[in-house]
Amino acid sequence: MDSAVVNEAPVLEVQDVSQTFGHGELAVQALKPTSLSVAPGELVALLGPSGSGKSTLLLAISLIQPPTTGRIRIGGQLLYDGGPTGIDVRAFRRQRIGFIFQQHNLIPFLTALENVALILDLNGVPGREANRRAMALLDYLEIAHRAKSLPAQLSGGEQQRVAIARALANQPPLILADEPTAALDTERGAKVMALLRKIARERRSAVITVTHDHRMIEGFDTVHHLEDGRLVETQRHVVPA
Amino acid sequence: MDLAVKDIRRHVGKFVATIAGVSMLLAIVLVMNGIYRGNIADGVWLIENTGTDLWIVERGRGGPFNESSRLPASAWQSVAATPGVARASPLVLYTAQRALGQGAEQQFTVVGYDVFGGLGGPGRVAQGRSLRAAHYEMVADRKLGLSLGERVALSGHTYTVVGMTAGAVDASGNPIVYLSLPDAQSVQFEQDNRAIMAARAATLQRLEAAGYGVEQAQRLLPLVGSSPPQVNAVLVRLQPGADGKAVAQHIRDWLHFNVYTTAEERTLMLEGRLKRISGVLGLFRTLLVVVAIVIIALIVYVLTIEKIKSIATLKLIGAPNHVIVRLIMEQSMALTLASFVGAWLLRELIAPGFPRTLVFAANETAVTFGVMLVGGVLASGMAVWHALRTPPQLALGG
Repeated sequence: MDSAVVNEAPVLEVQDVSQTFGHGELAVQALKPTSLSVAPGELVALLGPSGSGKSTLLLAISLIQPPTTGRIRIGGQLLYDGGPTGIDVRAFRRQRIGFIFQQHNLIPFLTALENVALILDLNGVPGREANRRAMALLDYLEIAHRAKSLPAQLSGGEQQRVAIARALANQPPLILADEPTAALDTERGAKVMALLRKIARERRSAVITVTHDHRMIEGFDTVHHLEDGRLVETQRHVVPA
Repeated sequence: MDLAVKDIRRHVGKFVATIAGVSMLLAIVLVMNGIYRGNIADGVWLIENTGTDLWIVERGRGGPFNESSRLPASAWQSVAATPGVARASPLVLYTAQRALGQGAEQQFTVVGYDVFGGLGGPGRVAQGRSLRAAHYEMVADRKLGLSLGERVALSGHTYTVVGMTAGAVDASGNPIVYLSLPDAQSVQFEQDNRAIMAARAATLQRLEAAGYGVEQAQRLLPLVGSSPPQVNAVLVRLQPGADGKAVAQHIRDWLHFNVYTTAEERTLMLEGRLKRISGVLGLFRTLLVVVAIVIIALIVYVLTIEKIKSIATLKLIGAPNHVIVRLIMEQSMALTLASFVGAWLLRELIAPGFPRTLVFAANETAVTFGVMLVGGVLASGMAVWHALRTPPQLALGG
C-alpha cells in the first residue's frame, strides 16, 4: 500500500456495525458486526456475491439506511453511535460524501455541466462559480467537450465520467461507489478504475467501491471480502501510484 | 439552479402538448362561467331594460315571463287612474317561430307596446330608430340577421325594419322583435280565412240552435263571433315620490290584478324559470373545475413519477426536501398558470361565435383562476408526498 495512505488519520471508521431487518422470528441479520477503517486516498473494494451484505454496508456507511448497531465516524465526525447523533445526515452527505452509481444516475434533463454544477448549487456555490468549477472537473476527467450534452446523448463511459465529476464536485473526503463498472465493458471498466485510482491518489479522497467483479480487484489498495453478511477476509495490495 | 425550469425546457414539446390539453378543459370551465352568467343576464334582460316600476299581470299569476297572463286590453286605463301612477301602458309578449326575411325559421319573442309614448319599447336602438307608426314597422335585434330597411313578411303583412337593437333577448336568449301593440296582437291572434269562416259558421249554427232566426243570427254574429283583444301585462311608471308598495297594494285591492315591482319580477325569474338551469350550469361548472383539478393533479403526479429515480438520486446526494418540493410545485404552478392563459385565449376566440350570450365577470374569472391554482397546488400534494416518501436507495442498483 502507498505509505501516504497508512500514516494519516482514517477518513472512515466503522466499528461493530450490523444491520438487522425485521423483528422477532422474522428478523434477518443482513450484516453481522463489522469493523473497518479507511485512510485518505485509499481505494477500497467491498467484494462479495449477491446477498453478502456489501451494499447493506455501503448504505449503512452513508446512513441512507442507518445500521441497527455500531458506530460510524467520517472525517473525525461521529455520525452514528448506536443511534443518530443529531447531525443532519442529508446535509453531511451533500457536503462530505460523493456518490457514484452503477447506472450513473445523471439527472436526465440536466446537461453534463449542470449535473456536476448541481451538487455545488445545492451546497450554496453561486451559479457562475459552480459552472467554472464544474467545467474544471469535466476537464480533469477529459469530458469537457461534452459539457453541453444531455445524458441521453452520452455513451455509458462518458456518462460514468460525468457521474464521477459530480461525485468529486463537493471535494469529498469519502466517495462511495456502487458497482461503478458493472454497466461497462471490460475496457471502459478498466478506464473507470484507473480514473478512481487517479482520484484517490491526486485528490486524497478515499474511495469505497462495492463490486463483484473479480477482474478489477488488483487495482484496489484494500479488498474486503464479504460472505453471508460477514467480513471474512481483508486483502491489502501495494498498488503503484 | 431551477430544476423545474430546466426540466420544462428539455421537455418543452411534451409540456406544451399537456398545456394545450389542459387549456381546452379550462376553456370549457371559463365558457361555462360565461354561459352561467349569460343565462342570468339573458333571463333578466327584458325585465331590466323595459324601464318600468311595476308589472301588472293577471290575478293569481306569476307572469308575464314565468306564467301566461291575460288582461283585458282596457286594463291599462284603470291602472292609469290609480293614485301614484304617472303612466301605464299595455304590453304584449309572446314567443314565435317563423322564417323572417330570407333566413330559415328561427325562434324569437315579439314585444308589442304602445308606440305613442307607451312603456316597454326598445330602450336603446343601436341602428336606425324606434317605432313611430301605428302599423307595419319593426325593430329587430341584430341576432335575427335582418338589415335596416329590409321588408319582412309576417302573418300576411309586410313590415319594414326601421331599427336594430344589439343584445335584446328574451329569457331563453332568443332575439326580440318590437312591434306596435295592434300589430303584435294581429300577429299573435291572426287566423287564416278558412278558420275564420269555419268559426263563423259554427257560431251561426249555435245561434240558430239556440232559437234565433237566420237573420237575427247574422246580426248577432259580429258581437259574439270574436273575443276582444287582450294584453299580457300592464307596465307602470310611478309618479316621483310615489310609494310603490302602496300603489301596488291599491291595484291588488281595487283592480284585482297581481302586481310585481321590477325587483320582484327579477326574483321571480331567478327563483323560477332560471333556478333549475342555473343550478344545472352551476353544478356542471363545479364538476368541470373539480375534473380540471384532478387532471392537473394526475399530470403533475405522472410528471413526478417519471422523475422518481432522479428524485431518489437528489435525495441520496443530499438535496434538501425543499429542492424537491420546489421542483414539483413550480411545475404544477407553471402548468396551471400557462393552461389558464391558454384557456383565456381560447375563450376569447370562442366567445364571438358562440350561439348563446356569454357574460364574463372579471372577478369570477379571477376566482376560478385562484381556485384552480390553489386546487392544483393542493392536489400536487399527492406528488410531493410520494416524492418525499421515495427512499434514496431507489437510486442504487440497476
